Amino acid sequence: MNYTFDFNAVSLRPLIEGLVVTLELTVAANLIGVVLGFPLALLLMSRIVVIRWPATLFVEFFRCTPAIVQIVWFFYCVPMLFNVFLGSMTMGILALGLNLMAFNAEAYRAAIQAVPREQIDAGIALGLNPLQRVVYIVLPNALRASVPVLLTNGIVIFQQSALVAIVAVQDLMYQAKTLATETYRPIETFTIAALIYFAVSFPVAQVVGWLERRRQVLTS
Amino acid sequence: MSLDFSVLLLFQDALVLGLWTTIKLTLICVVLGSSLGFLVGLARTAPSAVVRGIASVYVEFFRGTPVLIQLFWIFFCLPLILGVELSNLASGVIALTLYMGAITSETFRASLKSVGREQMDACIALGLPRHVQVTSVILPQAVLRAVPTLLSNCVSLFKESALVSAVGMADLMFVGQNISNNTARPVEVLTVVALIYFAIAFPLTRAVTLVEGRILKKLAI
Repeated sequence: MNYTFDFNAVSLRPLIEGLVVTLELTVAANLIGVVLGFPLALLLMSRIVVIRWPATLFVEFFRCTPAIVQIVWFFYCVPMLFNVFLGSMTMGILALGLNLMAFNAEAYRAAIQAVPREQIDAGIALGLNPLQRVVYIVLPNALRASVPVLLTNGIVIFQQSALVAIVAVQDLMYQAKTLATETYRPIETFTIAALIYFAVSFPVAQVVGWLERRRQVLTS
Repeated sequence: MSLDFSVLLLFQDALVLGLWTTIKLTLICVVLGSSLGFLVGLARTAPSAVVRGIASVYVEFFRGTPVLIQLFWIFFCLPLILGVELSNLASGVIALTLYMGAITSETFRASLKSVGREQMDACIALGLPRHVQVTSVILPQAVLRAVPTLLSNCVSLFKESALVSAVGMADLMFVGQNISNNTARPVEVLTVVALIYFAIAFPLTRAVTLVEGRILKKLAI
């Protein structure tokens, strides 16, 4: 090949600005997902069909369609259907947040179902009411067990957030695309952008691995 | 606003063609990707540190970056580096195969690990040669255990394949977006596109649960 690399042609400033937007999206979506995912998980396990069904449908819909379809759908259809016009950043956060909520609800559900039956029986024996049982027994147990999966889902959303570039939110991916066309240096730009994404998600993935190993040692 | 789903009937053929592209792409990359994943999974347990290192860097890099940027990289940069023109399909296949290879290698690695140490000891006690150990003892157990996760990897790949629309490949998503732009009826078109994806991915995820139950039962015996 006779391509000469020129990494100096790529200015880092817009990429860093994009990274800040990406991180804002990720953090906000994670807040929605971590907080609202739990009540959604409880709805998923409800004994009442009318509650369980819509919740299951919601979760399965987000899990079984491509994230890009969800995001494009959200940006085009929500303003038309509901007549609400929000900023693109808010829309991005909502779309990613709802997606993460569905995935986290599944994680919580698995963790809740893994809470040993005896613990709940003990709660009943101690005369705790259902709410107390959830708050003092199920929640702490399930939260601790679901941390690795929640973190993994968090990284996945960090990566999926690159999709909002397609609907013109100025995140890292969007800035990289713009820069690549402006400078005619796609290799350098996309390589640097990929490395930035990697530099954020790799350490988090290592933490997840460490947590899982520690948990295995503790439970065995 | 009034919804009019009959618009879609006019574009039935285009949607079917798009869906076919999506399915074709997914199937090609499932076969190529999981073969690559199996080799990489083996490489990550190799005795040589260099082989292990290369395999780890590959897997971590592809799992640590967005698929969209991988796709852009392969689409725009690989032709520059190799000095050859790549067709849309070829770039899509390369990108998604590499992605699938990375995620399935983790699946295979975990399932290889789950084959108990005592199985290896039994092989040695029976005096089986190395290739028989691998093909008749380790491989069948590892593959069997990998099946549920592999299936869900396939569902992930099917969903990620929608990204190729961003680089102009005429898959279901791309066709859907085109129709929605031309008819100015995004609600109907995009909803139907989402439902088509759902109609394929949902039964597959159910199958994962079913297979999981059955295999777990079989292994427990």
